[in-house]
Amino acid sequence: MSEPLQPPGFDADQYARPNQNWVCGYACEGRACKLGPGPGGECRATAECKPVLDLKPGETKGRWRCTRSKNQGGACELGPGPDGTCCRPLPRCSPVRSLRVRRGRLTLAVTALTVGALLVLLYGPWRLTFINPGPVSSHHTGKAFAELLREQSKGAPKSAALAASAFGADQGCAVCHTEALAGPAGWLKAAFTVKPGPFEVNKLAAVSRAEMTSIDRACLKCHKDHTFHQPNVVRDHSCSSCHREHLTSGHMRKPEDAQCLSCHGDGATMQASAAKGREIAAKRPSEFEYRSHLGPHVFGVPRPTNGYTKVFASFAGDHPEFQVHADKLSDTNPLRFNHALHFSSTVPPINGRKLDCASCHEPDASGAYYRRVNFERHCRKCHSLQFDAGNPQLQLPHGNETFVRSFLRSLPAHYAELARREHKLSRAEEIARFVARSMSGLTERFESGEGLERRVFMSTERWAPVASVGGSPTLGAAPFAGCAWCHKVTESPGTVPPQFEVARPSMPERWMPRGSFNHAKHQHLDCAKCHDVARSSVTADVNLPRKALCAECHSPKGGVVHSCSTCHSFHTTHRR
Amino acid sequence: MNAFANRRWLAVLMLIAAIVGLLTVWREFDVFIPRMPYLTGWVLLLLMLFLTLYNGRKKLPFLPAIRSETWLQVHIYVGLFTAALFAVHLGMRMPTGWFECTLAWLYVLVMLSGIGGLFISRIFPKRLTTRGGEVLFESIPAVRRALAEQAESLALKALPAAKSATITEFYVAHLQHWFAAPRNTLAHLFEISSPLNKLLHRIGELDRFLNDEERKLMFGEEVEAGEEPKQHIPGIADLVRQKDALDYHYSLQLTLKLWLFVHIPLTYSLLVFSLVHVVLVFAFMGGTS
Repeated sequence: MSEPLQPPGFDADQYARPNQNWVCGYACEGRACKLGPGPGGECRATAECKPVLDLKPGETKGRWRCTRSKNQGGACELGPGPDGTCCRPLPRCSPVRSLRVRRGRLTLAVTALTVGALLVLLYGPWRLTFINPGPVSSHHTGKAFAELLREQSKGAPKSAALAASAFGADQGCAVCHTEALAGPAGWLKAAFTVKPGPFEVNKLAAVSRAEMTSIDRACLKCHKDHTFHQPNVVRDHSCSSCHREHLTSGHMRKPEDAQCLSCHGDGATMQASAAKGREIAAKRPSEFEYRSHLGPHVFGVPRPTNGYTKVFASFAGDHPEFQVHADKLSDTNPLRFNHALHFSSTVPPINGRKLDCASCHEPDASGAYYRRVNFERHCRKCHSLQFDAGNPQLQLPHGNETFVRSFLRSLPAHYAELARREHKLSRAEEIARFVARSMSGLTERFESGEGLERRVFMSTERWAPVASVGGSPTLGAAPFAGCAWCHKVTESPGTVPPQFEVARPSMPERWMPRGSFNHAKHQHLDCAKCHDVARSSVTADVNLPRKALCAECHSPKGGVVHSCSTCHSFHTTHRR
Repeated sequence: MNAFANRRWLAVLMLIAAIVGLLTVWREFDVFIPRMPYLTGWVLLLLMLFLTLYNGRKKLPFLPAIRSETWLQVHIYVGLFTAALFAVHLGMRMPTGWFECTLAWLYVLVMLSGIGGLFISRIFPKRLTTRGGEVLFESIPAVRRALAEQAESLALKALPAAKSATITEFYVAHLQHWFAAPRNTLAHLFEISSPLNKLLHRIGELDRFLNDEERKLMFGEEVEAGEEPKQHIPGIADLVRQKDALDYHYSLQLTLKLWLFVHIPLTYSLLVFSLVHVVLVFAFMGGTS
């Protein structure tokens, strides 16, 4: 079909006017009248022409003449009636609105419907549910919030109080949003009286993260003293700049890395922070010592001169190496311990089980951290502290050199007790004989009590009689090698009899106090994956993983969470 | 490349540059400007108002404003830019809550209807051209009526000329209804020609029952026109094809008009929701004083 699809006899002069509001009712049938509807939508159809009366000079009656236009075929054959009516009347129609007008009316209707629906919803009892931008975290719902809401509802308009109760008092919008119960009119007023206002665009742009809004101040009603960060912080943050509500009904989402990096990723801020830190350290160094809540067993890490102000962008990327490795810090524990030796084949299995990490390291109740190794629970099985091969049941006390000294100086009493308890001797003569025999054995070996005492404290001999455990040999790594086998023992000069002092071991429970760690979440990993102790032969070795090892998993590539808040917390609520 | 293609490439490049710029600004400053969503929201609202002005511009053709064609181009690319701005305004997250979801869905529907309208206004005119013929949408009923009258007269002519009612009966049974109104509107939208083929197949099957006279009326005839090439006098089958082409025009042109029945009303609904949204966010913002 290549020819124009115009109606037969189409006259280009008779163009359509689609902008007109009304269309002839017969247009859809293809027989619209030429006249068309009036501007008000009324049908104007009468007849095809309006005859005119021709009166020739001298005539009184005249003759009606058809005036149908040429476009409509010119004058008709029949012509007007004798009374001057057109013989071709047009059928009347019910004009319809044009598509354009119908679209406009639909637009009006939809807009009106929208306004109506909004009015109903905003003034109805579910208005707070309707406008709630998202679920509130589980921390901010519940009985405590209901109580706060009830307190705030006192004095509010009745309708607002009703709305609050319908909304569910346990969600309590008004606790944070002071205008929540004011209703739509109040919201409108609040929107235009708030600082900065809707039209104060420059002020909106200038609002800093530190500025506390009324919502932030509401946070502080419950979360007291949560504004603290490091003492050398130069740019504070308001609560809501990091903690975003209305995102989930579960736990409130942790702050995003971008919040931390707004300072830690900014060179100028970090420089200012370093300068402030140096000043504080010079004048009030104790301000940085606020981690007493972690207990005494914390690995001592000296604060760098510039504090922790290295600029970085991500953990996997340029996050500083853990300080323990970066500063090549070593364990200052005076105890002599050799991890590698304990994993070697020279250490016999205990009850058929080879020594492993769990033999000595036990998790705490939460599983997050490990308890300190305890001699009685973890060491005595092998290092039994017996000193008399003939009476291995008699063992030295552990933990205090004074107790040891007292024990050694009252050996007859202990032998007598042993005779009663272990050898079931009850007669005084038998007990006395046992004591004398044992004491003479010791005298033979150590010559004097002082010799025995020196042997016990200072000996570093490796091999000595040991208790047989699970059929193990009776000669092995024995505690009788002396306290000095494991401990740093010094002899106090000029004391008679000689006094020995054992340096207290210091085994940290927390190695990296500035970060948190949860061992329970890493149970699927072999301990040796992170703690390479098989090659560690001295106590000074700090067998903690390097950052790169953590980043193998905790990185975009590794696919495990790697946000700042995974390990660090902004708040130092224990700092006052 | 012609001027239109050049202009389109330029506009697309500008759009991409604007979106990249927006994302860069958002990435760099979002952390430092806590009220960034308020600022992006204002820009978004102003752009939406600007886009809505195009509807008003079309209603006032006498205004010495920019040409409607230029307005349309700006409308398209600014509209696409608002999609990126909308995503930035939301912080690249899905909205939650009844009000916000409704608002977001309204935006998405307006955007999708706009993209749909853009798509069909680019595709349908080409399809109409390839199908051949031109007809004003408002003239289609008149053309359809003329075709129907022509077909009916041919069908009636068969009675005295061929002394047979085969064509007339066929017309009454299958064609009268078909000629009376637009048919197969959806099929034409998707270029499905099976309804026409089915009808032509029926007409073809009728051939064995027709005599020569009827065959001429049904399929047309070639007549000598002196030295001129032979002229084809159309038959009913030819009129059926013309009516199908007319329906094709009707279907596509109607769609070109109807998509605005979604786009424009939802735009105003979106604006109403947006204004309420502005009031709510500022009322619940929490002032700094």
